[in-house]
Amino acid sequence: MSSATQIRAEETILTPASRWRGMLGRHATMPALLAVVLLGTYLWVSATDLDDIEQRALEANKLLRAVGEHVTLTALTTVLVVAIAGGGGILLTRPSIRWLAPFATGLANIGQATPAIGLLVLLSIFLGIGFSTTLICLVAYSVLPVLQNTIVGINQVDRHLIEAGRGIGMSPLAVLLRIELPLAVPVILAGVRTALVLAVGVATLATFINAGGLGSLIVTGIKLQRETILVTGAVLTATLALTLDWLGGVISDLLRPRGLD
Amino acid sequence: MSRDVMIDLQQVSKFYRGQKAPVVDNMSMTIQQGEIIVFVGPSGCGKTTTMKMINRLIEPSSGRILIDGTDVTALDGNDLRRQIGYVIQQVGLFPHMSVATNVGLVPKMLGWDRKRIEARADELLHLVGLEPAIYRNRLPRQLSGGQQQRVGVARALAADPPVMLMDEPFGATDPMTRDRLQNEFLRLQEQLRKTIVFVTHDFDEAIKMGTRIAVLGERSKIRQFDTPENLLANPADSTVAQFIGRGARLKQLDLRRVDAIAWEDVPLIQPDKAANGAKRQLEQTEGSSALTVDADNRPLRWVNAHDLAAGAGALDGAGQTVTTVEPQATLRDALDAMLASRDGAAVVVDEDGRYAGTVTLDGLMQVIHHASEQEEPGAGVPDQRAGATTAAELAPEQR
Repeated sequence: MSSATQIRAEETILTPASRWRGMLGRHATMPALLAVVLLGTYLWVSATDLDDIEQRALEANKLLRAVGEHVTLTALTTVLVVAIAGGGGILLTRPSIRWLAPFATGLANIGQATPAIGLLVLLSIFLGIGFSTTLICLVAYSVLPVLQNTIVGINQVDRHLIEAGRGIGMSPLAVLLRIELPLAVPVILAGVRTALVLAVGVATLATFINAGGLGSLIVTGIKLQRETILVTGAVLTATLALTLDWLGGVISDLLRPRGLD
Repeated sequence: MSRDVMIDLQQVSKFYRGQKAPVVDNMSMTIQQGEIIVFVGPSGCGKTTTMKMINRLIEPSSGRILIDGTDVTALDGNDLRRQIGYVIQQVGLFPHMSVATNVGLVPKMLGWDRKRIEARADELLHLVGLEPAIYRNRLPRQLSGGQQQRVGVARALAADPPVMLMDEPFGATDPMTRDRLQNEFLRLQEQLRKTIVFVTHDFDEAIKMGTRIAVLGERSKIRQFDTPENLLANPADSTVAQFIGRGARLKQLDLRRVDAIAWEDVPLIQPDKAANGAKRQLEQTEGSSALTVDADNRPLRWVNAHDLAAGAGALDGAGQTVTTVEPQATLRDALDAMLASRDGAAVVVDEDGRYAGTVTLDGLMQVIHHASEQEEPGAGVPDQRAGATTAAELAPEQR
């Protein structure tokens, strides 16, 4: 017990250089693993005799475009979700409208409780098919984890710290920016990571309303019974999800305030 | 209003919506510059609420609060709070900021430049007994509880505010640390002469820290507002007496120091010199003792006529051990030392350990009795009465 605290105490006075070394050690495994999986898939596909359909579906350009669409969808979703749920979460922890928080999370819960495909189809009936409908669906689907974690993250900040901040003359905004948010960052970012991974998965459904993405590979593979296409699509989707999760972990480590247990 | 009134509460009340009874009901109080005013009372009596209205963390519902003649409601709340030191029990150091950053927060908000803030933080850390070179870049969790609260006090002092509010500042520390922090803070206060409102529920702490103590009851009603001495000697009503608790006389001993009472002299014997003179003196007065001292007048042992007769030439090891106190010690320490000695006397020594006089149980009782006669002309609380009678019986011999 005491040796554990000692080690931690030392960690915080590490120089920046060794902090980087520690990060490298913690975060190097995942990219290596993903590279091996990608390479393996590539070798397997190139060793297989591909027919016309497979060759056309697995063209480098097409793959890149599908990955590009998928990443765009996910990235835009992330930006929108962080803005909406992060901002909403901050507002919903202000004393004056704190009472609204349960309603808001309830609403966000509906978005997530509805099966993604159902939500997508419902939305496309009202909004038409295409990119923006997919985006709205993805946002609705991933808002909850970020909203909830923002609220929880801010509310778990010791209220004596807030009182101390106010007591020494910090404005409510200064307390939010200098105390509440920095101390809530780890929890908020955990929510963003969850949302990102969810979004990558749900974005495969975009193909059903003609918004592209890696889902089209998977669906083609299933419909035409071409294992190579199916596996390539699945591997790329999984790799993307894990890459983003890894990236989230790195960012969360970088932004994590020092001095937290 | 006199010039050195620092804080003036005028009929201050606090109501909360939906509650019939006010939390603080029509409270008025005048606090002089340089005083430590302790609010003491049971939990939930509104003492913290009252304190927080002074820096407007809680807005008063009615009444006026003047600090140095200025109505606090005329100022912006944040500006006001930057000019008032604030220390809380949970310390409230920001865990993600270094000690120096924590201390420099208020100066930074006041727009000081970086050099000045750094210099000020170092100065304050030094003041509260933390070596700046070691502690300035540490994070709060790398400090012990006592050290954290020192930083908390340093942070409150950063912009040199004339007024400080302290909400059970030493309440979360262990008794030994608390005692040390209290002593250090009192020493600091001697230099700084801040006007301090200090909230606690610990009456012993109130006696120790307070220039004046306000015993608060329900709704922050002032039951008694007086110096610790008067409060102990003359509680206004049974509730206050109950709150003071048992042993008010003993607590009074905490308030007086050995150098405030008269010392007696005893015969001294230096072992290497002829003890005949002292021996004769001891034989004349039955049962009295002499003190053997070394060449520098440092006390060694208590000896009586019998010891002198038996030991004759060699006095080493004869007689009883000596208990000593310094002039700055409290009378409670002196009493402790007396009880430890066979003769009911403690030897007062100077800082080099040299003999300066003795204090005895009889002398102590006389002082206590004298004090309570002055402050308490009539009745006392029954259980204190017994002590007073004993003192009265013994007193005539001394006069």
